[in-house]
Amino acid sequence: MRRLHHVPLPRVFLAAAAIGLLVAGPAFPSGFQVMTQGAKATGMGLAFAGVADDPSAIFYNPAGIGFQDHFAVQGGAAVLGRDSATFVGTNPYPGVGAVGQVQNQVFALPQLYIVVPLTTDLKFGLGIDAPYGLGLRWDVPELWSGRFISQNVVIKTTDINPVLSYRLLPELSIAAGADYRFSGVQLERNTAAVDPFTQAEVDVAHTKLYSDLTSNGAWGYNVGILWKPAPSVGIGASYRSKITVDYDGTATITPRPTGDQVFDQLVATQVPFGVHPVATQIEFPASINTGVGIDFGAGFTVALEADWTQWSDFKALNITFPGTGLPDIDRQTNWSDSWAYRIGLEKKFGAWAIRAGYYYDNTPQPTKDVGPLLADNDRNVYTGGFGYNTPTWGVDIGGAYIKLKQRSVTTESTDNFFGIYNETAWAAVADLRISF
Amino acid sequence: MNKTIVRIAPLALGLALLAAVPGAAQQYDQYVALGDSLTAGWESGCLVQRNQVNSYPAVLSKIVYSGDFEQPLVSEGPVTNGSSPKCLGAVFAPPTSISIEPLSEMWNPLNALLPRPYNNLGMPGAEVGDLTSLTSVNPDGSDLEKISALVLRNFPGSPFNDTNAVQQAGSLLAPAASNALLTLWIGNNNTLGASTSGIVVPGVTLISADDFQQQYDAIIAGVPPGVQLMVATIPDVTVIPFSTTIPPILINPATMQPVLINGSTVPLLGPGDAGYPCTPVPPDQGCALPPGTLVNLPASSLLAQGVGVPTAAGGTGLPLPHGYVDATGPHAGVLLYPDEIALLQQTTDAYNQIITGDSGSGAVVVDMHARLNEVAAAGYDIGGIHLTTAFLTGGIFSFDGVHPSSIGYSVIADWFGQALNDQAGKNFPHVDLSTILFEPNPPNPGTGSSVLSGAGAWGYTYGMWRDVLASTHKDAAAIALPSVSAPPARRMAPVPAAPRTVRNPHRHDDF
Repeated sequence: MRRLHHVPLPRVFLAAAAIGLLVAGPAFPSGFQVMTQGAKATGMGLAFAGVADDPSAIFYNPAGIGFQDHFAVQGGAAVLGRDSATFVGTNPYPGVGAVGQVQNQVFALPQLYIVVPLTTDLKFGLGIDAPYGLGLRWDVPELWSGRFISQNVVIKTTDINPVLSYRLLPELSIAAGADYRFSGVQLERNTAAVDPFTQAEVDVAHTKLYSDLTSNGAWGYNVGILWKPAPSVGIGASYRSKITVDYDGTATITPRPTGDQVFDQLVATQVPFGVHPVATQIEFPASINTGVGIDFGAGFTVALEADWTQWSDFKALNITFPGTGLPDIDRQTNWSDSWAYRIGLEKKFGAWAIRAGYYYDNTPQPTKDVGPLLADNDRNVYTGGFGYNTPTWGVDIGGAYIKLKQRSVTTESTDNFFGIYNETAWAAVADLRISF
Repeated sequence: MNKTIVRIAPLALGLALLAAVPGAAQQYDQYVALGDSLTAGWESGCLVQRNQVNSYPAVLSKIVYSGDFEQPLVSEGPVTNGSSPKCLGAVFAPPTSISIEPLSEMWNPLNALLPRPYNNLGMPGAEVGDLTSLTSVNPDGSDLEKISALVLRNFPGSPFNDTNAVQQAGSLLAPAASNALLTLWIGNNNTLGASTSGIVVPGVTLISADDFQQQYDAIIAGVPPGVQLMVATIPDVTVIPFSTTIPPILINPATMQPVLINGSTVPLLGPGDAGYPCTPVPPDQGCALPPGTLVNLPASSLLAQGVGVPTAAGGTGLPLPHGYVDATGPHAGVLLYPDEIALLQQTTDAYNQIITGDSGSGAVVVDMHARLNEVAAAGYDIGGIHLTTAFLTGGIFSFDGVHPSSIGYSVIADWFGQALNDQAGKNFPHVDLSTILFEPNPPNPGTGSSVLSGAGAWGYTYGMWRDVLASTHKDAAAIALPSVSAPPARRMAPVPAAPRTVRNPHRHDDF
């Protein structure tokens, strides 16, 4: 397996990764994609590929900065949380009556975008954001019935995304960028074994797999195009490449005393307690965003968008323990490519603007794969926001309410873990922009 | 406060929806299980209430049957020196091993006065023919007669005298025949008796396919018309830890790792058989076991004394005993040579063809042969818990190495329920495995005996072997076990088995 962290990196990248270290992974991505990378876009249902008129365009459609003529810095954060995420079990396991609840963690993801006009037509942009992530920590982890699959899973990313945008024609801009993705993962769970004296399953060990955000990463790229056939119409498309991150980390296996010292001693002869090397890989999928934005006059804008994500690249979650003799974990995921459909509205009143949006996001996750590691589903998302923008500075606030459809896993389950998942979540994004 | 209510409300709704069990309306009005020890709920060497409540028919009945499911429950008491089958449990044997010990035993019938036949008519030790041939027994007779007296209560003076198992099942099923279920899992002992005794001799421990068919058809003929029949196939001999735990090579009991001499493993010694002729090289009196030979668990006692171990590796050079029959009767052995395994597997396949072919087009078939082979190959994974067929630590099999554990029986019950869904258009819920997986099940009362000597590295004694034979063979008492202290070469005069006529003084005489 390649050890990509041996690639020498500019200091700025390491500094950015250190910022990423301060934050945990986000909570409720579709799959584990996180699109709330700008406050204005969030308020408009993330339909921003055809609008792309603030520095967050570096994420949504980098060709957008080709039409931005001032040096600008936009920074802020997305705060993500769950309103409620619950599990109700059914037979054969964990059985009718088993319940689970995801901890209501709140995650803050910083985002920073810089636009530097090099010439009238050539613009440089730098984006630092976190387009993928996952955080799923179950309450009462030592009793939670899914604890042998996952008690806590975290995927963190921090992307450093420098781009160049060139305005080929007065009405047409193109862009291309490089995208270095730092990523860290964590997985915690218990292991059960049969107590030979009682013939009952008991918790005997806790395993924590950990791979640091700063230690793993890989390169990808993004491109975009934005055409404005009329001043009031924008038609845009952007593409972000697949990025495959190979992770090296540690597996820390600690005993869970059973109360029977004799059994504990027998377990100690069988289970390799201690710290071991671990390796895994995640294929972050490619995505295409296509959208239009139309200004109907009087400050009223409508944006439409269709986004495609190539989740079929996420085929398996394989974890190996090189050189330890521990058995590999090889879990098939078999996700499908997914589509999301978005609509966003904005109405300006002078410097003020109010925004609303909606999108429907199809899950890439097949029912069979749904489990304590990740329980995704199709979702309806309602967004809103407002902003105050002058030529030299601006503030934008956006929010989203995310309602996942109920997901029932009753016939087939990769984990053989059956039940019903419900989740609602929210996001709030605030950005401050300064332009010169 | 409000938020809490909002969170709990969908939970409560979900629970209520799940509690309204789908399929409740289509439960059967009557259910009877016919079979052997695997149907009765025999586990860890005995048949007692603690485990009978977890027999596969008892677990299945909670899902598919609307009435009272009655069983010939037996109480459990302290170990006596009587002949009552012993319930095995694990005790710690310092410094690091586990010894399997008789910790309790079968005492008294608890449900003997039930004025109707039991729903669970599983008879430990029964072969196919016994379900129709046992009509009146001597309650002080053979192991199987004692079992028949317990399960069928068909002894002189009993109101159930002169009835066999199929007739008793029919009398329960007939009044509700249009909505009744009969599960029939029989034939296991037609091959298990051969594999557990190590006597693989057609005509002695294996009946012909024609006889099997005739006996099986006699059972099917007794099923009242209209009853939903459900049959299960016979597992492969190679799935039970009784036969798979001890490899045919020398193991260091301290490390449980193979002993290597000049970098090679050391085969254990056997006397050979027709397919594997043996000319011993002195001082050894036996020949290397061919790869693929199964060494049954009772060999543990013999290996502890160097029997089966080449002299070059510090053993006695004596061969492990191989089962045979002579003028004095059957003599048990601990080996199954590859040709015998093949014969057992061919016989099992032939019997299974009869089971699936003769049960009729409306019958639901549970392919236990296939399901247990899958579990033996890949384990059984549920919610991140990995169960296997390994002895003591696998979770699927009990302490006797032959019969499933309570966990194993619940998994089997789930397979039966799902087969009804798949093949009979039912929509029953799965069995709930979440409780049984975590429920401690040591013998009760676990007063135990003193540590047995000579159990060997796998903690398996001859006493356990006798009880296994009693539950898998119709006439276990007639089989001579090889001596532990003076192991026989082939054709040596066998040491007779300990007499088994001493009855538990606590046992009532009225079953």
